[in-house]
Amino acid sequence: MLFKKQYDSLSSEDLFRKFHIDLPLLIAFLILFSISLIAIYSASNSDINAVIDQSIRIGVSLAAMILIAQMSPLDYERIAPWLYSLCFILLGLVLILGETRNGATRWLNIGISFQPSELMKIGMPLMVARYIARESLPPSKTSIALAVMIVILPTYLIYLEPDLGTSVLVAFSGLIVIFLSGIKKRYLAIAFSLFITSLPLIWPMINEFQRKRVLTFLNPEKDPLGAGYHIIQSKIAIGSGGLFGKGWLNGSQGQLDFLPERTTDFIFSILAEEFGLVGVVIIICIYLFIVGRGILIAINSQDLFSRLIAASISLTFFIYVFVNISMTIGLLPVVGVPLPLISRGGTSMVTLMILLGMLMSVGTHKRLVTK
Amino acid sequence: MSFKSIITQKEDQNIFLNRILFSSLLILLLASIIFIRLVFLQIYDSDQYKLRSLNNTIRTQSIPPSRGLIFDRNNNVLAENRPVFQLEMIPEQVQHIEKTLDQLAELQLININKVDALNEKIEKIDNSYQFKAITLNTKLSEKQIAIFANHRNIFKGIDIKTRLTRYYPKGEVFSHALGYVGSISSNDYLRFDSAIYTGKEQIGKTSIERNYETSLHGYPGKEKLLVNVRGRVMDRLNTQPFEPGNNLILTLDTRLQEVAYDAMQGKKGAVVGIDPSNGEILIFISTPSYDPNKISQGMSNSEYAAFLNNKNKPLFNRAIAGQYPPGSTIKPMLALGGLDMGYINPDNFIPCEGHYFLPNYSRPFNDWTTHGSVNTKRAIQASCDVYFYQLAVEMGIENMSAFLSNFNLGKKTLIDIGSEKKGIIPNRAWKKNNFKSKQNQSWFKGETVIAGIGQGYMLATPLQLAMATAMIANRGSAFQPHLVRAIENIKTGELQYTPTEEINNLEHIKEEHWDIIHQGMIAVVNERRGTAYGIFQPNVPIAGKTGSSQVFSIDKSSNKEVPEELRDHGLFIGFAPLDTPKIALTVIIENGGGGRLAAAPVAEKIMRAILDSEKKNAL
Repeated sequence: MLFKKQYDSLSSEDLFRKFHIDLPLLIAFLILFSISLIAIYSASNSDINAVIDQSIRIGVSLAAMILIAQMSPLDYERIAPWLYSLCFILLGLVLILGETRNGATRWLNIGISFQPSELMKIGMPLMVARYIARESLPPSKTSIALAVMIVILPTYLIYLEPDLGTSVLVAFSGLIVIFLSGIKKRYLAIAFSLFITSLPLIWPMINEFQRKRVLTFLNPEKDPLGAGYHIIQSKIAIGSGGLFGKGWLNGSQGQLDFLPERTTDFIFSILAEEFGLVGVVIIICIYLFIVGRGILIAINSQDLFSRLIAASISLTFFIYVFVNISMTIGLLPVVGVPLPLISRGGTSMVTLMILLGMLMSVGTHKRLVTK
Repeated sequence: MSFKSIITQKEDQNIFLNRILFSSLLILLLASIIFIRLVFLQIYDSDQYKLRSLNNTIRTQSIPPSRGLIFDRNNNVLAENRPVFQLEMIPEQVQHIEKTLDQLAELQLININKVDALNEKIEKIDNSYQFKAITLNTKLSEKQIAIFANHRNIFKGIDIKTRLTRYYPKGEVFSHALGYVGSISSNDYLRFDSAIYTGKEQIGKTSIERNYETSLHGYPGKEKLLVNVRGRVMDRLNTQPFEPGNNLILTLDTRLQEVAYDAMQGKKGAVVGIDPSNGEILIFISTPSYDPNKISQGMSNSEYAAFLNNKNKPLFNRAIAGQYPPGSTIKPMLALGGLDMGYINPDNFIPCEGHYFLPNYSRPFNDWTTHGSVNTKRAIQASCDVYFYQLAVEMGIENMSAFLSNFNLGKKTLIDIGSEKKGIIPNRAWKKNNFKSKQNQSWFKGETVIAGIGQGYMLATPLQLAMATAMIANRGSAFQPHLVRAIENIKTGELQYTPTEEINNLEHIKEEHWDIIHQGMIAVVNERRGTAYGIFQPNVPIAGKTGSSQVFSIDKSSNKEVPEELRDHGLFIGFAPLDTPKIALTVIIENGGGGRLAAAPVAEKIMRAILDSEKKNAL
């Protein structure tokens, strides 16, 4: 009787709440994971091993998310400076001791090989949020200046690796916190015009490989078999998909290997080719749902730190989605950003799921932090 | 962490909400941009991208048609298509290309001298074409095939493939009539519609193979292939089969052709035999000949150079392009002209003392022997030069050339293969047009004299002489000579016969004049003092005329051995049987000595074969 009563009183919603899981978010994630497996099976020319590998990564990522969600936002606030400092030191070490692959020094080998810049994706928003949240909004000029320094220093180290894409995204996750903190529009205007005017100065400093990427993006047809190949083939895949797509495993661009990097950066093109506009609009809606749910969590949370990290995570998540899709449809240069939760790849998925675990934590721990 | 009042918390929240609202609007804006872009790509421009996607993956490949076959008049195959075996390599499947090529060379499967060139060629291949087979050896012998079969396991990515190539079962016997085929050169594309050529097939280079190319070639098929990014064929989508080329049925008779070729072994010259009743060419031989199979299957540069530099010129088609002084074979035609125009009375005997003097000329024109008293028939029978020197002077060169033109001499016969020469029937106008210096342009009387025995400027091809002989046999009429009897439409099985039109420029000749000429020619073969008497079996129904044309003026009295290339050409023209002639024949032996000893024996063998089969048919 006792057991039964306990069981009755424990509704499923309570069960998830107890384990700090946000059910709508979890469902959205699971849908995207399923899409990921379907897309990877097609993109890997029906290689079941690729699907098994991805399933394992998904399992590990989900576990990491649930684990992180058990911690309270207060814990994140506490470890933020330590995590940030550790990441910063590791980024410095990468430049000295790191492994070089394909001309980029991004990896550090401490038994296992990993990218400290990935870890900074977590450290950055936490650190900036903690720094901004220590005083009331809007932050003072000196706070802003210091916060900007917090953002710029690691960004520059990542840029040196070189890894332009990650450095921009890491910078974004910090800057979004400063923006959300209510920085005056005047400063925003100044920052924006500074950025625009400095472009001609920055341009010659960017290395040739990245310059070429940008030029290719501006005119892919100039070198259709070389640098422009990715973009052109991706657009052909997406465009030829039409309204309803060619059907699963029937996309010629993907199945016949015309589309490069199609399990990772260009997996969106596979989805667009095989499932058409209808399919990808549904996927975009799921992403928008996740972002919207995240923003709602941010709004509903009671303290500034929680609010800032929840909002930063949600907006950064959207930016990942936006950059990846824009790059496949030729709106942005190819910068090597995977499509969140769908692209094949371990590290980036674990990082992202840790961030989303924090989002869940904020969403489910709020009552505990109210005084 | 400092404690904040409730009020500041409220303020914080307002500022934050403000910014969140702004961010959300931005998100919606960016999402809309993506959406609009997707609509443009996937709906507005979708057709264009669908096309580009297809262009990426669909390759149309043309399949070469199989070439039409060639048969003789009795349905013996003269040209067919046979598979040859070649060694091919697919570069992407071979790990160590250099090592593999060395191993193949060691086993003598590829030419060791070609290894470097092959290596270079393979290195240059674009990455996206590594799947395409490279030919290492175009023709494997049976021994090589066996060697390769024994070592197949160590040669991954190397295989034996077949391709069709032209094969001529009778080899050298028909080569000048049929011609040969070869790979398409850039010049060939100018001759034919390149749209119906795949570039992989062989194309006719000479003679019938060339002239009937459009009939023999057929139409290529097409297959649509699905290829991946490296060009590897993943699937065949649909195949439209090729239309094979039409077959040709020739007028040639293999048995006679073989008899004639046999008789010509070791000799330089030509044999042409025409059926006088329809212009069908039964025998067409030019020697020395060549093996068309060697050329069609591809020969090395050095082999081909040896061919071209051979002083006997085996590739030269003497039957239609060799121009020879007709010599005494012109005499029956000239006699006919003399009779027709009234310059000679057939019953008048004139004396032949072995030489002829032009008035005011100190130098005599020699006869080859002293004939004594000759009339028209005897002059033909014994080939008396003095008789025809005199006739020529009386007729004059203009009359002679006008009359000989009736026998189609001096112009092309328009036979259905190319590179035919038209010969020369000289007259004053011709000489004026063809000589540069004024001095050489005027006509000399002495030139008229030697024209009377077919010497001097006068030239004719073996084919022209055969056609003229057909006119003599037919008493005036002839048909355009042709080698293709019918084209067999491969789809309908219908035979499209070559039309033959009768031409007759000699209708006005009196029968009795023809009789005299014929009697003379019969006597050549069958009567004592005939120049070919004793060569043929007694009393054969054959009329003929020998001829010897001078290559070089030689003092006949000296007994010195004459170098071969300066010896006279031997000629023989003739027709048989007498009542309904089945063949008009010309035999020319270059530098063979006289017509009697060189050409008549060849003609005898051929005539015997024809008359034997006539006899069998009669039984």
